[in-house]
Amino acid sequence: MKVTVDGEVCTGHGRCYALAPDVYGPDDYGHCVVLHDEVGDDLLAQARAGADNCPERAISIQ
Amino acid sequence: MADVVTGTFGGSDVDPEGAAAPQAQYRLMHEHSPVVRLDNMVLLARHDDVMHALRHPELFSSNMDAIDIGNVRPLIPLQIDPPDHVKFRRLLDPLFSPKEVAKLEPEVRRLVNELIDGFEAAGEVELSDQFAIPLPCTVFLALLGLPIEDLDLFLRFKDSIIRPVGDTPEAAKAVQSAAGQEIYAYFQKVVDARRVERRDDLISGFVAAEVDGHRLSDNDILDICYLFLLAGLDTVTASLTCAVAYLAAHPDRRDAISADLSLVPAAVEELLRWETPVPGVPRVAMTDVQIGGEQVREGDSVMCLLGAANIDASEFPDPDVVDLERPGNRHLAFGGGVHRCLGSHLARLEMRVALEELHRRLPDYALKAGETPRYTSGIRAVEYLPLVFTPVVQS
Repeated sequence: MKVTVDGEVCTGHGRCYALAPDVYGPDDYGHCVVLHDEVGDDLLAQARAGADNCPERAISIQ
Repeated sequence: MADVVTGTFGGSDVDPEGAAAPQAQYRLMHEHSPVVRLDNMVLLARHDDVMHALRHPELFSSNMDAIDIGNVRPLIPLQIDPPDHVKFRRLLDPLFSPKEVAKLEPEVRRLVNELIDGFEAAGEVELSDQFAIPLPCTVFLALLGLPIEDLDLFLRFKDSIIRPVGDTPEAAKAVQSAAGQEIYAYFQKVVDARRVERRDDLISGFVAAEVDGHRLSDNDILDICYLFLLAGLDTVTASLTCAVAYLAAHPDRRDAISADLSLVPAAVEELLRWETPVPGVPRVAMTDVQIGGEQVREGDSVMCLLGAANIDASEFPDPDVVDLERPGNRHLAFGGGVHRCLGSHLARLEMRVALEELHRRLPDYALKAGETPRYTSGIRAVEYLPLVFTPVVQS
């Protein structure tokens, strides 16, 4: 599955990398950086937890 | 005016019962009228409408017309809208990023334990005065490099702005404005001192910082510090007391956390959602615009009710159930959009460490028999929260 973050929408709530540190990380401003563009089954639950807890709905998983 | 920071809401003071349990009022709004007009003010309850307003500062501005809290210039960055806003956030965001605030954890934990040391043998505590007020204020003073002796002065500053006392609205306003002038004067002295001698603190950092190749002016620094004082002290006190009051009233949840401290981070998020200590954030309409089916006119106040959005069933399944392991929690307790709370990561750190240590050391705390917690209107703090617990005997 492909994981993307919309940098225009992310405002740095930081929920994604707090809950799913293997999939998301912070840049210097605390905004989200996707660590793996493609995630396998092993990381899918983490990727979804990050997306489901993003207040800005900035993360998509397709 | 409706103004959650200065203590009125919907044009009138919230009754104490409403402040203790505003969720019932929000539920009524969701069921009957999720957009309410009161004269020249519109209240938004739906998660989608609140998010829309927060995401469109060009339509719903956070400028000085949105709220009056004793300041004479726009607070930075809250009352600066894009595009200038981003310049200040690019300076400030790195200072308050999760990675940066994580460095404070040992000091916050030491402070939390020192405060608990002060009352654990007594078997009882008034949690607001003895814990939830001094904790964020002490952290704040250390961050800004200010002497701990100024704690009482800072408490008076923030109380005079957030909950000004006066026989008439005009008298209260005068108290607020006078405190505002004192705050500017206080920080001006600190800036002057740091310009002569830099230290390892935030204000020294501001003196040295550049935005777009320009140094921050004295006024820029004062406008940042003024906001920090208002935003950084009261809100953490409020969040902590609301969270502990909820848990003291729900011993099954308290026991679950005491038995498994790994529940604390998720509990912090769910209690922020349910309690939403900052119940709303004000905006002002920049143009005639529709929102949630309501026509808003240029200059109208628009109150984004974060607390109502946080119990919207269209976003949160079973919104009235406090689920410490809620899988998806897009709560807006820290707002959203470009003005998302700058200090949210510091607030989370302080709440997590405080709840971890309170549950580790005083696992059976409960409300003192015969006492009733007292909530404030506006920002929801529990200003009287008497607790009892099994005293800890020093070995």
